[in-house]
Amino acid sequence: MDFQKGISDWDVSTSEKVDEALVRLAQEEELANARLETLLTHQCQIEAKMSGIGRAMATLLAVESDSKNLNAQIVNTAKLAESVSAKVRRLDLARCRASECQQRVHDLIDLQLCSQGVVKAISDGEEDYEKGAAHIARFLAMDQQLLQRTADDVQGSFTSVSDAVRTLEEATEKMQTQISRRFDEAVDNDDLASVERFFKIYPLVGCHGIGIEKFSNYICKKLSVKAQKELRNALDIAKAERRLQLAYADRLTAILENFARVVEVNQPIIEACYGVASPYLLDMIKILQRECDLEVKNLLLEFNKNRQIQYRIQQIKESTQRSSGSGSASSNIQSLGHYRKPSGGSVDKLNPKEIDAIIAEITVMHSRVELYFRFMRRRVQANAEACMTEKEAQKEILDSYNNIIIKSDLSRQMQEILSTYLLFERYFMEESVLKAIALDTFEAGQTCSSMVDDVFFILRKSIRRSFSTQSINGTCAVINNAASSLDGDFVNALKTPLKNGYPSGYIDLAQAYNAIQTTLQQGKLQSSDADRGRANFLVQLNNADISTEYIETLWQTMEQEIAGTFPNMSSVERQLLDSCLTELKNVRDALKATVDFGMQQLRSSAIKPRLNPWVDQFLNYSHYLTEEELAKYEAGETFVQFLIVQLDGLLTTFKSSLSPRNYDALVSILATEVTLRLERAIKKSTFNRLGGLVLDQEVRALGTYLTGATSWSVRDKMTRLSQIATLLNLEKVSELSEYWNPESSNDMPSWRLTPNEIRTILTLRTDFRMEDIKRLQL
Amino acid sequence: MEDYKFLFKIVLVGNAGVGKTCLVRRFTQGLFPPGQGATIGVDFMIKTVEVEGEKIKLQIWDTAGQERFRSITQSYYRSAHALILVYDISCQPTFDCLPDWLREIQEYANIKVLKILVGNKTDRHDREIPTEVGHYFAKQHEMYFLETSAKEAENVERLFYEIAAELIDQARSKDGSSAATTAAQRQTDSGSIGLGFSSLSAKAAQSNCCSGLGLGNNDNASGTVGSNNTSQGG
Repeated sequence: MDFQKGISDWDVSTSEKVDEALVRLAQEEELANARLETLLTHQCQIEAKMSGIGRAMATLLAVESDSKNLNAQIVNTAKLAESVSAKVRRLDLARCRASECQQRVHDLIDLQLCSQGVVKAISDGEEDYEKGAAHIARFLAMDQQLLQRTADDVQGSFTSVSDAVRTLEEATEKMQTQISRRFDEAVDNDDLASVERFFKIYPLVGCHGIGIEKFSNYICKKLSVKAQKELRNALDIAKAERRLQLAYADRLTAILENFARVVEVNQPIIEACYGVASPYLLDMIKILQRECDLEVKNLLLEFNKNRQIQYRIQQIKESTQRSSGSGSASSNIQSLGHYRKPSGGSVDKLNPKEIDAIIAEITVMHSRVELYFRFMRRRVQANAEACMTEKEAQKEILDSYNNIIIKSDLSRQMQEILSTYLLFERYFMEESVLKAIALDTFEAGQTCSSMVDDVFFILRKSIRRSFSTQSINGTCAVINNAASSLDGDFVNALKTPLKNGYPSGYIDLAQAYNAIQTTLQQGKLQSSDADRGRANFLVQLNNADISTEYIETLWQTMEQEIAGTFPNMSSVERQLLDSCLTELKNVRDALKATVDFGMQQLRSSAIKPRLNPWVDQFLNYSHYLTEEELAKYEAGETFVQFLIVQLDGLLTTFKSSLSPRNYDALVSILATEVTLRLERAIKKSTFNRLGGLVLDQEVRALGTYLTGATSWSVRDKMTRLSQIATLLNLEKVSELSEYWNPESSNDMPSWRLTPNEIRTILTLRTDFRMEDIKRLQL
Repeated sequence: MEDYKFLFKIVLVGNAGVGKTCLVRRFTQGLFPPGQGATIGVDFMIKTVEVEGEKIKLQIWDTAGQERFRSITQSYYRSAHALILVYDISCQPTFDCLPDWLREIQEYANIKVLKILVGNKTDRHDREIPTEVGHYFAKQHEMYFLETSAKEAENVERLFYEIAAELIDQARSKDGSSAATTAAQRQTDSGSIGLGFSSLSAKAAQSNCCSGLGLGNNDNASGTVGSNNTSQGG
């Protein structure tokens, strides 16, 4: 069709065009032939494939029938398997029931045996309670409901199960009452072996709680008798052991050890006989703790009576009240002891030494109780770990023990005794510190007096002793009290002589010092009040200085020792202690302020009045010198020689009697004062060229002397003065430009003088012309 | 965390069971734990607050109220910057003991210590001490006065923030006067502290008016504490 259509489209109007069409047709024919041929070549291939497919078809049919067969077989197998497993399941159930049945039969047989055995065992003739109890334990281990049902099932048979059950129930009841009776009898006869025997039988007859309770009560009774006897003989025992000072602490230790031992011995028994279903040990401890509270209470009553605790507390309270009363009357002196009061009031005053031994005894008592609680807590924890696998249940048990501790009378009594301890310790510390201050002695050759060593010794002793209470609260309180004792009494004692100022007198200081030293050595007091005042002033100044070091040492050692004493502190407890220790360290600031205050006093009363006339001598010299006069001046005693001799004299008197740091501070103050005063004197004088030269030399000499007098740098204090001297030593005014530019000379420190000051100073040189000075570019 | 400008120690005292521990817990942890056991000795909490743009570390010492802990708690008075004396508005005996507490404070604490009287448990309906009585007592003894409820979190924040603000003012005025204050100077300083107290009492009176208006207003009052303080500081 395409072909015809194609031809009809062709233009065949001319012969050329017909030829053309013919050619084209011929070409197309050729193409068609070629295509046909290629198609024909494929024929055999296709035929081969077709025959292959035909063969495969036959095989596939076979496969189909096979798989149908297989399917049928699988279905069959599944059916079979299902029926088999159902049988297995039934068999298993049957086996279970059979074993249950067996168990029941066993139970029934045992029941029979038990009921016969128990009757025999508890019959009056035999009294084999262990055997009877074992039967009952076996009976109680049976499922009571199941037994009841069994009894219903086999109603009417020969061996009536319900009879046996009834027998056993009766026997259990009988056994329980009998054991209780026998236990009570054993207790009455004080037959420990029987008591322990029945204690072990109780859990067998299902009376765990009663067993623990009865046994604990028995133990309590025994311990109570023992404790009462020992308490009566407490002092005799202590005397025999030569520990009279610790008689009550030893008794307390014995009491606590007894309770600890009971728990230690019985813990394995309880765990073995009473099982681990419930923490029975805790029940026992609860009962024991009640008795322990009671015994400790009796002991403390005796302790209080014998050591006159109440009376002493009264004495301490009265003395503090009296002193605070008088303190408020005399305004700001907060005196706390008789050492600062007229001796009239100290007749019935408690001597701190008297309570020293009691304080030690209390600390031992307190630490023993802490130890006891720690031991018990460990036991309870071990028991909890044995009973419970879950961590939370263990924690619950431990918490309930902690609750027992907190609520126990023993803790309350320990808190009370700690309170007594703190009262005593504070009194001991404060009184001893006041005593050390009152008995302060000074030995020649030393820069400090005895009270510094004494006071710090006392504080260290008290703080150390507080560690032995094993109480963090107690330790903190003692550290606080130590800080307040230092900050109050001690700092006041140092400050009082400083407040009065450094007594100035006619006698030279060196003489004064020697005088006080010789009188102290000879034990005579001949020198004047002023001499003693001077010496005392310097000693207290040194004391304050050395105390700042001591306090640092005390803080450091106590921090180390605390870490050693309380290795298992919680973070809150650590912060608590740190904070208290910091408070102790802060007293150092008060001491430093005291030193500064003393130094200022020294400046105004010892340095300034003596220094000023010496420096003012400068005004008596002429600074307007000729060559001749200069030679003469230098041959004689120059001003600076005179000044240095005087200064040296002044410093020597202090050098031996001041601590190195205080001496350095003094030299520094001296340097400041000398330069200030000398500057003022210079400004009142006029100079010529040679006068300026002399001044420059003299300032250098003074600087060298002061630098050599101390290890501290005083060069800085001299800078201004040296610069003034440099200005006055100039050849010409214009020469200043060489010095003025800081960049040009590196060895010259920057100028401490303002341009205006420089101009004023330059006018002191009479030979400098005013115009030159004014013209200076500064 | 350690960059704070001031560190202040605040000690809470008062009879057992007036709610000292609850006040501290409410402020430091935002909790009101009922059935709290008695405190043993002292407990210690830290909270850093920001007042007037300054970071302030407050060390709060919660003391045991029972008599037998007195020797422990007394030892902390000396270093305290502020002492909060707490009573229970529904329990007359706790109020009656206040003079004893003041005696103790006078004996052991620094004379400059800032004293605050706090009537706690305003949530209780069985009030025994009227606000005016507490206020009058505080005024008599130169103390700042506030009624709080740790349970309802009422005035608790305000209490501690105002203490912090007051202590900052004190610290600043001390810095301004002189670096080395001697004991003698300290004595004279106490006069100016007295003035501080009178301004405090005036502030306390103001706060009273607020609490007199009703419970709802107190929240607003505590909300504006910061601005109050800045204006007072200037």
